[in-house]
Amino acid sequence: MAKEEGVKFPLSEAFSFSLESIKRRFSRAVITMASIILGITFLSFLLTTGRITSSIQQQSGTIVGTYQIWVAIIALFICAVGIVNSMLISVAERYKEIGTIKCLGAMNRHVLTIFLIEGFLLGLIGGVIGSLTGWGLATLWQYVQFMLQQQGSAQFQVLLISANLWMEFNYRDPLMLLSNPLVDIGLSVFIALISSIVPAYIAAKLSPTEALRYEA
Amino acid sequence: MALRYEYAVETEDLAKYYVMGPVTVKALDGVSVRIRRSEYLSIMGPSGSGKTTFFNMIGGLDRPTRGKVFIDEVDIASLDAYELAWLRAKKIGYVFQTFNLIPVLTAMENVMLPMIFTGVDRDERIRRAKEMLTRVGLGERLYHKPGELSGGQQQRVAIARALVNDPVIVLADEPTGNLDLHTGLEIINLMKTLNTEKKVTIINATHDLKMIDVSDRILWIRDGRIERIETRAEVAVKEVE
Repeated sequence: MAKEEGVKFPLSEAFSFSLESIKRRFSRAVITMASIILGITFLSFLLTTGRITSSIQQQSGTIVGTYQIWVAIIALFICAVGIVNSMLISVAERYKEIGTIKCLGAMNRHVLTIFLIEGFLLGLIGGVIGSLTGWGLATLWQYVQFMLQQQGSAQFQVLLISANLWMEFNYRDPLMLLSNPLVDIGLSVFIALISSIVPAYIAAKLSPTEALRYEA
Repeated sequence: MALRYEYAVETEDLAKYYVMGPVTVKALDGVSVRIRRSEYLSIMGPSGSGKTTFFNMIGGLDRPTRGKVFIDEVDIASLDAYELAWLRAKKIGYVFQTFNLIPVLTAMENVMLPMIFTGVDRDERIRRAKEMLTRVGLGERLYHKPGELSGGQQQRVAIARALVNDPVIVLADEPTGNLDLHTGLEIINLMKTLNTEKKVTIINATHDLKMIDVSDRILWIRDGRIERIETRAEVAVKEVE
């Protein structure tokens, strides 16, 4: 068969397919994103608070307890499991749809791409919401605290420090690095992508006849 | 479409066995048949006779245990995943009993879907989807989702989707199975009209006897084997007797 006679599914089409799928199954997307938003918000809140406190007290690094770090790590793991679970349900709900698009010419890797992009988008959106919320809440929390203590200069400093977090990339200390909200967004995308691999693979491997026989 | 090959589909000693514990179920057991281009063929038989298995085999959806399937004289067992996907996208259109439209997409988007895989550009996709939906009588329902359409209308969308890439063959698995008598008849007539107009080969797996009136030939399957193949005239003669 000639080269031009082959199925096509450019990344741009895969992207719009996944995006439409998220938009039109919004409640499912919200549930999947909820776990990632909570996890990232928690992490971001913890680290931003720690950074502000240590900067105000003119110490280096981040004041975050080891205990708190472990809680944050576990929270992220739970968030990953939540995404896997939610994506698996999403795949099961769409068995017939997967079977159908395979009949229409989709190959395994196209199906894989669709679900990975969905994971990526959920991670991105969840990460943006989560780190903005965590960072925002931490800043507000510290600001209000210093305001109540009537330390005007510290109040202003809080805003300056947390604004600076966005521009700081400290590769030597993982905690410092993660206190940049942009890095948290990256982490969120990474976790969501890793969590999507298994569900996406299951979806891709479905045989069209099995998928079509499935009664939801 | 040029009539390059005489036969759209040929099968040779096609068999599919399912091993379920100690028993081997012979869903299909040595079916050899030649289906001509632009023929309207109905595969009749009771439930569990192997209709759907046969349908899946010639659609390239499942691999046979034994035997061969040729589509346009190409042995589909020799195709790799890429070529098989192309076969499904371009050469075969599928119509199902349960319609199988994507619930979150509109009628238009459902019909546009197969053209994504064959690389048709977006404007052309929209134009052809509109044209095809208008052809099946749904010109007023372009932006409705499957949930907002009746069963008959959904099946029309599915037929439009199956035909929009100008396939060689349309495979329909019990297309009227979920429809009432009247709507079923409309769908049958629509398929017959498109068969005549577009010279597309239509293969129906069905136990709807209304289908006999429009079929060129009827293939009766029982227990995974061909019981007999009759032309419409032969069936009509029997009915008179």
